[in-house]
Amino acid sequence: MNAALIYLLLLKATMTSFAGMGSLPQIRQDFVETRGAISDQQLSQAVLVGRATIGPMGAYVVAVGYFAGGWQGAVAGWLAMSTPALVAIPLLTLIQRWLHLPRIRAAVDGVIIASAVLLLGSGVTLAIDAIQQLRAL
Amino acid sequence: MLPGRVEGPSLRELVSSVAYDANRTVGGGLVSIELLRRRFTARGWIDSLLHGVFIAISRFTPGTVVLAYCVMLGLRFHRWRGALLALTVASLPASLIVFALAATLARIDRYAAVRVMLAVGILVAGGLVVGSAWHLIRPYLTRDFRIRMIVIAVVAVALIIVGATPVRVLLVAAVVSSAWPVRQPRASGRESRGRTDS
Repeated sequence: MNAALIYLLLLKATMTSFAGMGSLPQIRQDFVETRGAISDQQLSQAVLVGRATIGPMGAYVVAVGYFAGGWQGAVAGWLAMSTPALVAIPLLTLIQRWLHLPRIRAAVDGVIIASAVLLLGSGVTLAIDAIQQLRAL
Repeated sequence: MLPGRVEGPSLRELVSSVAYDANRTVGGGLVSIELLRRRFTARGWIDSLLHGVFIAISRFTPGTVVLAYCVMLGLRFHRWRGALLALTVASLPASLIVFALAATLARIDRYAAVRVMLAVGILVAGGLVVGSAWHLIRPYLTRDFRIRMIVIAVVAVALIIVGATPVRVLLVAAVVSSAWPVRQPRASGRESRGRTDS
């Protein structure tokens, strides 16, 4: 599988997800089921490596890229992981322009509060996961 | 609302801070964001409102949340150069490690000691993420915002329980909050939200 195609497929997955591991279903669909570029076992291994590594969990796409296309695929994975973050720039520009409007500010307040609730859920999930792992040892 | 030019870290400080905090813990990007928040607020480079805005935008940005957060930190202080450098140093070290592990097919989870360390690391990470949630909520625990905060939180929890995606949760929260009767904003608690209104 060539690096350009790996980049485009991984980019499709990362651009349509909103969390590190959110791209997993799309990646499985494209790389395992549709194209057979990697096996389920390799995908699981990529997830494990990404999870056990420092930094963002989304880095597992680098391993997916590597398994699908060698080091060029890994580079494509890194680029596919990084590219969507640039979308934040126009969003920040818009917020800077409109945040002084009370309704927009209220909407941002709502998003911040909901983000905190989502964070709380993520934190509790992580803690439960860790406790279960410790108990299993 | 958000000043165009602000006092902040030099490019070297920005890059080293992002590289260090974004790549020193397991548990995912939310933990890294909390570490970045602590560093940047402790040095007075950002405040709670700006952090909250960055979090909100990061949540609406596709892909990995912490990378979007780092892009905004970089953009805030050093424009495009800062954004691209912050993005690179936040993503490259972890990617190199993942690449190395994948290339050597290291079965790092077969050693009990490694599994214990990972589990403890994830437990600590969970605590940091919960702490991060508290820091986001705290400015809204004022009399003016308390009811709205509770309503939005309850709506968010209900949506999560029924399986709504995070983006839908955020969109509904935005709609509910913007439909709320508008008052003069005084949500900052101990830190005046007006501080960033220069």
